[in-house]
Amino acid sequence: MREFPWMSQRPSRRDALRCMGAGFGSLAMSALLAEDAGAKGPLAVRDPHFAPKAKRVIMLFMFGGPSHIDTFDPKPVLNRDSGKPLPFAQPRIVSFPRRGGNLIGSPFEFKRHGESGAEVSELFPHVAGIADELAIVRSVHCTNPRHGGAVLEWHTGSDTFIRPAMGSWLTYGLGSENQNVPGYITICQALAEGGANNFGAAFLPAAYQGTPLGYGDVKAKDARFPFIGDANRTNLQRLELDMLQEISHGERGETGPDAELESRIASFELAFRMQTEAPEIQRIDGESKATRKLYGLDDAVTADFGRQCLMARRFSENGVRFVQCNSNGWDHHFDLKNLLTKMCARVDKPIAGLIRDLRTRGLLDETLVIWGGEFGRTPTAENADGRDHNPHGFTMWMAGGGVRPGITYGQTDEYGYYAVENKVHFHDLHATILHLLGLDHERLTFRHAGRDYRLTDVHGEVVRGLIA
Amino acid sequence: MALRALLGLATASILGSAAPALAQEQDFFEKRIRPILANHCYACHGPHAGDGQAGLRLDSLEGMLQGGRSGPAIVPGQASASLLIHAVNHDTTLQMPPRAKLPIEEVTALTLWVDEGAFWPNSARPMVGQQARLEAAGGEFTEAERAHWAFQPVSDPSVPNGGTTAIDAFIIQQLHAKGLKPGPQADRPTLIRRATIDLHGLLPTPEEVRDFTNDDSSEAFERVVDRLLASPRYGERWGRHWLDVARYADSNGMDDNIVHGDAWRYRDYVIGAFNQDKPYDQFVREQLAGDVITRWGDDDRSAGLVATGFLMLGPKMVGEDDPVKQKLDFADEQLATTSRAFLALSVDCARCHDHKFDPIRSSDYYSMLGLFTSTKTVLTYRVTSKLNATALGGPEADRRLSEIERRFDYHSDFVTNYNRATTPSQVVDAQQEALKEALDDYFEIPKAMAVAEGDIGDLPVMIRGSHLTPGGLAPRRFPAVLGGKTEPPIRSGSSGRRELAEWLTRPGHPLTSRVMVNRIWKWHFGEGIVRTPDNFGTLGERPDHPELLDWLATRFVQDGWSVKSLHRRIMLSSAYQRSYRTQGPAAGADPENRLLWRANRRRMEAEAIRDSLLAVSGQLDTTMGGKTLKHRNFTNLNANALSRDPDLYASLRRSVYLPVLRSALYEVLAAFDFASPSTSNGNRGSTMVAPQALFMMNSRVVDEASRGFAERLATEGPSGDAERLHFAHQIAFSRRADDGMVPSWLRFLDRYEAAAGSRAEAWQALCRVLVSSNEFLYVQ
Repeated sequence: MREFPWMSQRPSRRDALRCMGAGFGSLAMSALLAEDAGAKGPLAVRDPHFAPKAKRVIMLFMFGGPSHIDTFDPKPVLNRDSGKPLPFAQPRIVSFPRRGGNLIGSPFEFKRHGESGAEVSELFPHVAGIADELAIVRSVHCTNPRHGGAVLEWHTGSDTFIRPAMGSWLTYGLGSENQNVPGYITICQALAEGGANNFGAAFLPAAYQGTPLGYGDVKAKDARFPFIGDANRTNLQRLELDMLQEISHGERGETGPDAELESRIASFELAFRMQTEAPEIQRIDGESKATRKLYGLDDAVTADFGRQCLMARRFSENGVRFVQCNSNGWDHHFDLKNLLTKMCARVDKPIAGLIRDLRTRGLLDETLVIWGGEFGRTPTAENADGRDHNPHGFTMWMAGGGVRPGITYGQTDEYGYYAVENKVHFHDLHATILHLLGLDHERLTFRHAGRDYRLTDVHGEVVRGLIA
Repeated sequence: MALRALLGLATASILGSAAPALAQEQDFFEKRIRPILANHCYACHGPHAGDGQAGLRLDSLEGMLQGGRSGPAIVPGQASASLLIHAVNHDTTLQMPPRAKLPIEEVTALTLWVDEGAFWPNSARPMVGQQARLEAAGGEFTEAERAHWAFQPVSDPSVPNGGTTAIDAFIIQQLHAKGLKPGPQADRPTLIRRATIDLHGLLPTPEEVRDFTNDDSSEAFERVVDRLLASPRYGERWGRHWLDVARYADSNGMDDNIVHGDAWRYRDYVIGAFNQDKPYDQFVREQLAGDVITRWGDDDRSAGLVATGFLMLGPKMVGEDDPVKQKLDFADEQLATTSRAFLALSVDCARCHDHKFDPIRSSDYYSMLGLFTSTKTVLTYRVTSKLNATALGGPEADRRLSEIERRFDYHSDFVTNYNRATTPSQVVDAQQEALKEALDDYFEIPKAMAVAEGDIGDLPVMIRGSHLTPGGLAPRRFPAVLGGKTEPPIRSGSSGRRELAEWLTRPGHPLTSRVMVNRIWKWHFGEGIVRTPDNFGTLGERPDHPELLDWLATRFVQDGWSVKSLHRRIMLSSAYQRSYRTQGPAAGADPENRLLWRANRRRMEAEAIRDSLLAVSGQLDTTMGGKTLKHRNFTNLNANALSRDPDLYASLRRSVYLPVLRSALYEVLAAFDFASPSTSNGNRGSTMVAPQALFMMNSRVVDEASRGFAERLATEGPSGDAERLHFAHQIAFSRRADDGMVPSWLRFLDRYEAAAGSRAEAWQALCRVLVSSNEFLYVQ
């Protein structure tokens, strides 16, 4: 059941105004609604709890679990002991015990980069070039060693129940800066492992659910918003809407003015406007050749993720609160050397391009960029030449949006299995992300079925060391 | 069963060293323990931390014993049951200190100290253990807790004077007490439209409207109600209401979206139960214990087995590597759904601590949870866990099914977990072939998603909800505040589901009849007498008409728990038949209509919208029942393409027969507030969002429906534009077009034809406007 003040069954005019809009925005646009301009739709901008460092989030999600020890967390001792057994106990719960093997070193070379001297492997040459922008967190951990559990844990904070996604909590807490596009967009997200629950609103009102732009098996250039009309039929639709307005105006005469019915008709006008504006923002035709090159759109390897990143920047600068780009295929149980090399090549240049572009446009300071997957991988071999899932210690990084740049935070043990120093749980990252956007994770609550829920449930602590 | 063994393993003390001599206790504390606490804990839980983070202070023994929000920090003498020890071991979700684990020697020292009794200088040696504290807390209810309205016996109030029916007498009494009068009755077209949408989720045909309007007799409406109740469309509509409460779905929808290949039998069982007017008490008993209250050979054996699908349908994290957590999570979901559906209480809130608002103790939770952990829901608690099933053909078929399940489980385990580096490919091929054969055999057998009695036993209270910190035993029983402690103990050899079913359907149960009567009222009026139909606890609302609720609940039981009799009582009241007229003297005094002086207006539910669209266009297929999701059991629908397969929802049958795929919901239903099928929900939202307008403007469904509607007008309707317009209005709105609007409509047709170049398209556009309008979508 839903318990939300503006969702009562019989709304007043003001309440009805609050109810409408949603999904793609809300506020009054007709003279009828103008008088209530002070009313707040579900996606109207709301004040944060305190001054925010960031206004928006771009999440770069590497689905499958990228190996941290081959990318951002070099382990000389692991390389030294490659082929030997793990000298300490495995976790209590291991997903594929029958496939496990001895330690296996990283085939990739690490170097220090930038003034910060951050260590990045040869797989990410472009990201290495912006190392001074990054806060690399090497001590992330979560609890679930399976994709489904861990992906849900990252997106919603729970690997046990269906809960609202982080992007839903953020749009619930802050609203959206642009009422003509969805406040929470996820580009080409896979529907596997939790599926739509990963961007769903669960018990939060539907207005806060993520809007999928394409799905995991759709190319970024073919991604479309749902139910967007044919631009050639605009004049015909205008005739239909005018007729709808006319008969609706008639029905007002009988029972007196009715805010709910009026709002519903107004929502058609909003939809009409939205369906021209949202695809316009999505379109990248107007971007310069240099910009397209920066994101790797001129190269078949990087073009797809590059387009996602470029769209993300466009949505972000147009006020979309939470945008997620999705790269699928990071689950390297075997042949890790080749497969990981391929995946990194697809995203490296686009990611660096996005960071540089945001910096150049003065957007990086107010845009929080987060990179990572649902877990890392084991230092032990699986199927001889792969690595198994490892939720006990792995790397994510953040940039912009009030994050302290050029730092490496936390440590895993000398083999990279467990986080040991300055451990950061997903709940802590969630608390930190909300904090950077001006929200106290303990105060951002929603009452459902007799209880106040939070993104961080009863956990989470803001990681002060990551904040500038 | 494995649970206790695993629990034992998980909580074995991590140390076996000798204790320090008694005389050394003070020394040991000051040299080893206090420095750890001071260095690592006091910053957040010490003398300068106020109440301490999470309400916990660790600078005194009292603080430790009293504990914080998560419960006591230590159980003296029992390190394995002490939160503090688990926290410093970082072996549960609570990990302290939060950043870095303490050195092993400090963890060892703390463990030893707790195991040896937690000596603290100048404090009385603790005598009260965790278990005793829980008992004390669980045993006492305050007067206010006991006096909560919903826990009182259902009364049988006498009917006040006045009013056309008993229901009206109660309502009029309250209106008069406020000096108000009820509004007028609805006109006949409005009334039959309301009743038809209400009972069938479909619009009345123009003929039905005409017949009713022309029937002058005083029994005319009664005849309409009886006709509607006798139609199988009724069960399809009201069964769907119950499916919301049962969080019905044809797929699992958590990590893996595994097909519930046999869930459709439960859906058909529910529809049938409403159509047959199955007594509600029997309906409850079958869903909770149909497998144990029927035997092979009984006529209702199949129904009994299929009905327990109620307990099977929840979303499950099937890829959970921790088998104990998995078992507890699955049982938790069953308990949450059961308590919300039948008791309108959130017993599941007491998993980690006593319920914050309602008198439900953690011990109540684990006492109830034991019923479900004693029930067999899945074959094994091993990734990927597979749902239990029972063959419907009899004991021999069921034995055969068990044999197939064993084969299936063995081969699927192999195929999931083999080592690529060391397993020859022909072995893998053979295993895959064997798996496919087992799957084929499995698919062939008619079977029900059904529970069975499992490994029967009581659970310990899990401190802070973690199975790694078990406390005292919680014998299986029902919540104490509802008299659960005075019930006879659960029979040996029974999970307790049979006892639960009997207890719930006892005529004097304070909640079962009230909760269902309120649900039915809510589905008729849009609001319940209690406006929080899923929560009768202290955070829920109180009934607006408490005497009426009790009177109806008493009649409901006296009428043999007949749902159809209840419909008749409600619909034949004047309260049900009032007009929706928001103006009038009562509008100022009661804008929310809590006193029921007028009708409520509601937007049609998602299914009614789609079904009505199909019906007006003449496309609706009224075939009943059967399997409609073609995919087999164990298919994982989480593939991108699969979950968006347009064929999944291509059917033209009523919406109740469309597959309900968690995390791949049909977007048409999802757009109009279809209840999330992940949790029990008797109170759907009704939002108004721009995507709904986009759906009406641009979706294929509306496009095809409006085209079909226009074609129907052309073939069935009169030829003149104006007469055809009236005909269209009669189908869509149950009335003729307003004469004053006819010229506007005709002008619209001409202008649209001029712009689009086609008269047929203009008529389609006109139909789209009609079905997009408020008048089409709202029930008055």
